Amino acid sequence: MLRAEKLTKRFEKLTAVDALDLEVREGEVFGFLGPNGAGKTTTIRLLSALIAPTSGTAEIAGFRLGRDDASIRAAVGVLTEHPGLYERLSAHDNLDFYARLYGLPDGLRVARVEHFLRLMGLWDRRHDPIATYSRGMKQKVAIARAALHEPKIIFLDEPTTGLDPDAAKTVRDLILALRAEGRTVFLCTHNLDEADRLCDRIALFRRRTVRVDTPTNLRREVYGAWTEIRLREARPEHLRRVQAVEGVRNASLFDSTLRVDLDDPLRTNPKVIRALVEVGADVAFVTEGKPSLEDVYLQIMEQQS
Amino acid sequence: MSATVAYVPRRTAVVRAVVLREWREALTNKLLIGMTFLPPLVILAAGIGAVAAAAANPPNERDIQALYAAAPAVRGLDPKEAVQGIIAQYFLILFLMIPTIVPLTIAIYSVIGEKANRTLEPLLATPAGVGDLLIAKSIAAMVPAVLVTWLAYFIYLLAVAKVGSGPAQNAVLSPRWLAAMTLMVPLLTLLSVNLGVLISTRVNDIRVAQQIGGLIVVPVVAIGIAQVTGRVVLDDAPILATSVGLFVLDAALIAVARVLFQRENILVRWR
Repeated sequence: MLRAEKLTKRFEKLTAVDALDLEVREGEVFGFLGPNGAGKTTTIRLLSALIAPTSGTAEIAGFRLGRDDASIRAAVGVLTEHPGLYERLSAHDNLDFYARLYGLPDGLRVARVEHFLRLMGLWDRRHDPIATYSRGMKQKVAIARAALHEPKIIFLDEPTTGLDPDAAKTVRDLILALRAEGRTVFLCTHNLDEADRLCDRIALFRRRTVRVDTPTNLRREVYGAWTEIRLREARPEHLRRVQAVEGVRNASLFDSTLRVDLDDPLRTNPKVIRALVEVGADVAFVTEGKPSLEDVYLQIMEQQS
Repeated sequence: MSATVAYVPRRTAVVRAVVLREWREALTNKLLIGMTFLPPLVILAAGIGAVAAAAANPPNERDIQALYAAAPAVRGLDPKEAVQGIIAQYFLILFLMIPTIVPLTIAIYSVIGEKANRTLEPLLATPAGVGDLLIAKSIAAMVPAVLVTWLAYFIYLLAVAKVGSGPAQNAVLSPRWLAAMTLMVPLLTLLSVNLGVLISTRVNDIRVAQQIGGLIVVPVVAIGIAQVTGRVVLDDAPILATSVGLFVLDAALIAVARVLFQRENILVRWR
């Protein structure tokens, strides 16, 4: 759905995006994570044909960047960092205006505007000026604007920043609904928990792509796999027995919890549990060790810098 | 990878949508409405008041001699009627201030308003062409300004017909007034709009932009002063020559505006 090769953008002496290679698959939610100033917004502007690359190429929804720019803009939807709505106009008039700019035929325009106003729960307030809306309501209108013309790819730049939990959940549900419709979502966010919950794959980015993979694989790559076993009463021999199990790389004991590092949890976990039971340990809980995406992100970024 | 079928807007539809949106927004802005109608109202009131005052107060002998010296063409006319004619003629230059002030204000509000609300990026993210957006913004600022000027002129015509003398009526229906209204008003309006757009690309404060843009009035005022002091006669030929000059200036400013009004320029360089 989207492929960039050596995409570069320089602003005089500053290289904002440096030889970006990226491939985004159809129908996935693709997370684009990076620190402030990493060039995420510039990347979105490049991929939505708002600014021209200094070098490199990209193909977006089947259109060539630099050759089919108007077609790319027609095929993608963009939620910018700020809602950017006409405050004196109503939600209805804002959406109707953009539907016209995207060239939606009359009947479809009316239907799409109504669909999104109802979907966002704004139908009853559709004629109120945007200036009277809360931040969350404005963000909903801005997302509706980005999705109005049924784009194949939707770029979302920090869609839940500044929203209360209810509004953020609505936005997240909408992202999942867009994916369910088969649309590709390119999600720029600082909210790593959100990225973890929503994204099929994640790119860690700082001027160029640092790493691309699923959240699970990134975790495993950085921290490996481990299992946490809570015992009713832990003793040193329990630890020694677990350390002796084949497939266990390392084991450590904190209070009454054993942390067991292993390469193949599916094969090794049953052996560990059997070994513990054999030495008389009372196993209370067994859980899969899962570092937060934030830990993974920080670790990878630290390695890079 | 196969290309996606996407809707493509017609250029006329884009221009129409932007113009109507600009007007819809402007109609909710009381300050902008006030600043659109106040200059014509003030100039109209002054113009009608001056002709009416001249009709009510006949000039004394010294004024008449000064009048004949300044405008030999009116020698032989009834002095009271001649004074009204001269006043009606002189007010042309004040009426030409309307298409400089009004569209400038509308254009500045339009562009700086978009910058302040950060609405430019979503607008530019659509398939609409930037040239079409610029045309639409120009039309949205030009049409009300030209209409307001013509409306003020029409009201002035009716008022002069009611309270003014024959020479006054002849003056406001003279070819120079008609040429000014049909040629100079649209050209001055376009100049003012483009100037407003150019200033707005560099300035973020509406008042600062208005102060800078207000300088456009200076040449008009200077011509007015030169006219009153008898140094310049705003006759048919100067009006046509000025119109040609304005046309060239307009073309140059449109070319500059088109360069500045590029997607990347707007997103990266506009502050």
